[in-house]
Amino acid sequence: MTMRPITFFRAGSIDEAVAAVSSHPDSAFLAGGTTEIDLLRLNVVQPTLLVDVNDLPLTYLEDVDDGGVRIGAMARMSDVARAPRIVERYPGMSQALLLGASEQLRNMASMGGNMCQRTRCSYFRDGQSPCNKREPGSGCSALTGINRGHAVLGTSEQCIATHPSDVAVALVALDAMIRTIGPDGTNAIPIERFFLRPADTPSIEHPLAHGELIVAIDVPALPVARTSRYVKHRDRASYEFALVSVFSAMRVDDAGNVAELRLALGGVGTVPWRAHRAEEALIGRPATPENFAAAADAEFADARTTPMNEFMVTFAKRAIVRELSEVTS
Amino acid sequence: MTVSTVAPATVEGGVGTSARRPDGILKVAGEFAYSSDLWADEMLWGATVRSPHPSAEIRAIDITAAVALPGVYAVLTAADVPGARHYGLEVVDQPVLAIDEVRYEGEPVAIVAADHPETARRAAARITVEYAVRAPVTDPEDALSRGDLVRHVPVRRFASAGGTALTADVVVTGTYEVGMQDQAFLGPESGLAVPAEDGGIDLFVATQWLHVDQKQVAACLGLPAEKVRLSLAGVGGAFGAREDLSMQVHASLLALHTGKPVKMVYGREESFFGHVHRHPARLSYEHGATRDGKLLYVKARIVLDGGAYTSSTPAVVANAATLGVGPYDVPTVVVEAYGVYTNNPPCGAMRGFGAVQACFAYESQMDKLAAEVGLDPVELRRRNAMTTGSVMPTGQLVHGPAPVADLLALVRDRPLPPAATGDPRERPGGVANTTRGEGVVRGVGYAIGIKNVCFSEGFDDFATARVRLSVVGGEPAVLVHTAAAEVGQGLVTVQAQIARTELGVTKVTVATADTSVGSAGSSSASRQTYMTGGAVRAACQAVKATVLARVGRAGELALVDGKVVASDGAVVASLVDLLGNDVVEETVEWRHKPTRPLDPVTGQGDAHVQYAFAAHRAVVDVDTELGLVRVVEIATAQDVGKAVNPQAVVGQIQGGTAQGLGLAVMEEVQVVDGVIRNPSFTDYLIPTILDMPPMAVDVLEMGDPDAPYGLRGVGEPPTISSTPAVVAAIRAATGRPLTRVPVRPEHIAL
Repeated sequence: MTMRPITFFRAGSIDEAVAAVSSHPDSAFLAGGTTEIDLLRLNVVQPTLLVDVNDLPLTYLEDVDDGGVRIGAMARMSDVARAPRIVERYPGMSQALLLGASEQLRNMASMGGNMCQRTRCSYFRDGQSPCNKREPGSGCSALTGINRGHAVLGTSEQCIATHPSDVAVALVALDAMIRTIGPDGTNAIPIERFFLRPADTPSIEHPLAHGELIVAIDVPALPVARTSRYVKHRDRASYEFALVSVFSAMRVDDAGNVAELRLALGGVGTVPWRAHRAEEALIGRPATPENFAAAADAEFADARTTPMNEFMVTFAKRAIVRELSEVTS
Repeated sequence: MTVSTVAPATVEGGVGTSARRPDGILKVAGEFAYSSDLWADEMLWGATVRSPHPSAEIRAIDITAAVALPGVYAVLTAADVPGARHYGLEVVDQPVLAIDEVRYEGEPVAIVAADHPETARRAAARITVEYAVRAPVTDPEDALSRGDLVRHVPVRRFASAGGTALTADVVVTGTYEVGMQDQAFLGPESGLAVPAEDGGIDLFVATQWLHVDQKQVAACLGLPAEKVRLSLAGVGGAFGAREDLSMQVHASLLALHTGKPVKMVYGREESFFGHVHRHPARLSYEHGATRDGKLLYVKARIVLDGGAYTSSTPAVVANAATLGVGPYDVPTVVVEAYGVYTNNPPCGAMRGFGAVQACFAYESQMDKLAAEVGLDPVELRRRNAMTTGSVMPTGQLVHGPAPVADLLALVRDRPLPPAATGDPRERPGGVANTTRGEGVVRGVGYAIGIKNVCFSEGFDDFATARVRLSVVGGEPAVLVHTAAAEVGQGLVTVQAQIARTELGVTKVTVATADTSVGSAGSSSASRQTYMTGGAVRAACQAVKATVLARVGRAGELALVDGKVVASDGAVVASLVDLLGNDVVEETVEWRHKPTRPLDPVTGQGDAHVQYAFAAHRAVVDVDTELGLVRVVEIATAQDVGKAVNPQAVVGQIQGGTAQGLGLAVMEEVQVVDGVIRNPSFTDYLIPTILDMPPMAVDVLEMGDPDAPYGLRGVGEPPTISSTPAVVAAIRAATGRPLTRVPVRPEHIAL
């Protein structure tokens, strides 16, 4: 283990934070620190300057004009999970937050930090195995290693690391917007464009410029989200990442057809996975278990599996069918 | 010496009461000082350079850059070890620091002392080791065929009438696997070595057996044992993982080299490399029985992966072999158990010690046999249950109580928990799951196990206790001093309880365990209440005899509430008056009845001291579609002979059961090509409070006439049978064969 001196700077304003990071090539923001400090200790990330953004006035949670909610980037997961407007308007998002990590971690971890959470892939985190995400061009050890928990959707020959977040699954289903301030001014990034699939550059996970800081997450008004849900299946009952998780928000019309559907999956993708194919297959069609199964099949038609994780395809399909059946029953 | 097995009922906090633990509030409040909290002025911090390779030749070690770092006081390699360059519990084969080669990932190669832990780690990173990497041997069968054998223990016993042919009307076979489990103690390896003026060392460390550490450390330092003095520091759990040395020699070497105190504390990841694990096992069984389910023979082949060094593998193999058919009467037994060397992480002691792996296999087989002959699983077990007077496969007669059928009946006759109410918290997967009950199937499974208590195979097993009675502050007071390691099980409390009972004195202090008193043996093999408890009792009785001799008529007198009392209840004298300024102190070395080695060809011999039994019934709800398991309830019954501290007994039973549940459904150190892939508590899963169900516990107290107070070792039995019981319940719910633990969702639902 190599120890390196790190300069710590607590930013007093957004501009100061952005300026500090963007003017220093080996720098990084530090929010809740629940992932980043681990990765520092593991030598997976090696910044020489840490710019602490915990003092910035970004812990708010406020309504926006259209009935949506703006969540400050430094709002803590536990606060957001229990905020009445989240519980009422986006119950599935509240559930996703409460099923993530542990209470202690949720009290520390910020929403903006959660968007930048890194994978649990043990080859990424061991600091020495070949890993294209950590060391571009070095190869992917997970392809032939222990990959029971690795992604089956959105993978590439370069990387099959699973995205670990729960709440991000809800946010991709809700079409949230990531708001940033960077050296070139403000920016708004639709959330599905915020999470980059590995493709040929697994080390680039987000379209953020160096020094570009997430300041807020906008969740648009969405009446169907008031009945949204999040379910999570895992190897133990608490404090564990998903084998598969499902966020759903569905409205079935009087004729029994799917009128609206937002469906997203965790634990199976290299990014929080919006199930567009399944949504398209179902909207306007009768809300029946057969159609749910066909939609799930469509979503996983291009799944790429290994001998250890091929069970995930079956499990995820079953989880989708069950979840949608529960919602309609 | 006066021998009294009847405890005076009047003693407050005596034997049979749930006396309060002196460390209880401190631990709950976070104020207990663990070994990682040790501190000395001017102390240095040690760090360890470990091999990244499971097998490699060391071509060169360059420490230049590390030594040059400001704040670094010492960098040591194998060449700097002044005494023996190897250590080991049973076989001295493990290098203090790697010599010319490394044989497992994480093997210590060099050590550093610096004035700050960060500096020490930075210096460690500057040490360059040139390795010539070799292909590791990681498959135990390969190792066996190469002859890399640690020990082969055969146990062969043939029914007098049956000859050596293995034939039966009903035969069931199966091959089972047990993954590598970690002890997962919460307090990582740590200690503080302080150089002494006499050229020796004072070592404060969390360990299980101070004297076996002392012996090994002294040999490696090239010092006489009396110059290596160990004191027990606060132990954050052990479960076998502290039997082998970790940082003891390293910190002592650095302290002697620098002349300063040196502290070493492993981190969580390092801890996964710093101690041995439970042996992974592959077990092939064949059970032959009559059509009405009476066992005729059991044939088994057990292969245990011992990893890179011997550790306690020889004894683990013996346990797997001698306990390999379970608590049943089996006329003919042919067991071949092997422990092998590989380049996997070293494996050694863990709660259950060889009996765990065998129990998963033989209990799986018993269920298979029950199905084959059409019997209820409990009824099949009952028909074959051993009793007092049964003969073990080793030929050893079971003298003490063996209430196997009773324990099974107790768990069977408990009312079953009610069906799930629909509360989301009761679903497999908990509130995070959706299912409303469709696809959820309940299953019930049973298992019973057997474990030996104390050391076996002719080992000279003893414990030492020093007991002092005097008047302190106008009251009679007892000081109990032993070297027995309190590892969280409650041994300090139990020692005080015994002294109160034997001497009729409420005020008892238990001194910190150290090597200034004789050995207590290890806090393992479920032996410490039996052994050190026995020694404390014997020392108390010696003190009592000395005191009463002053009064005369010793045989007619008793000590009650600080007074000498005649048989008619009359007070003869108070201890305060009788003792005055005198101190009565006695030291006793106490032994259990001797055991015998196993015959190396037949495996016959009276190898064990005492047998202990526990039965479990597990009730599970399984989401058969997604493979999620919720253990609804576990009922257990265990014979403890005498519950010296009933609350501590139940605590042991609950903790042991949880550890067995973990092995059943989630715990496994994943090793690929000799490399541990999940050395963290994020990736190595242990049960949480939500995974562990309520327990119904029956404690039987059928006294063993050979044991102090009739007690039976408590710590290990509950770990042994809970794993197969949980798996049996999942099988009952799903119909899946489930031949490997831990069971994972994909094994259940696909």
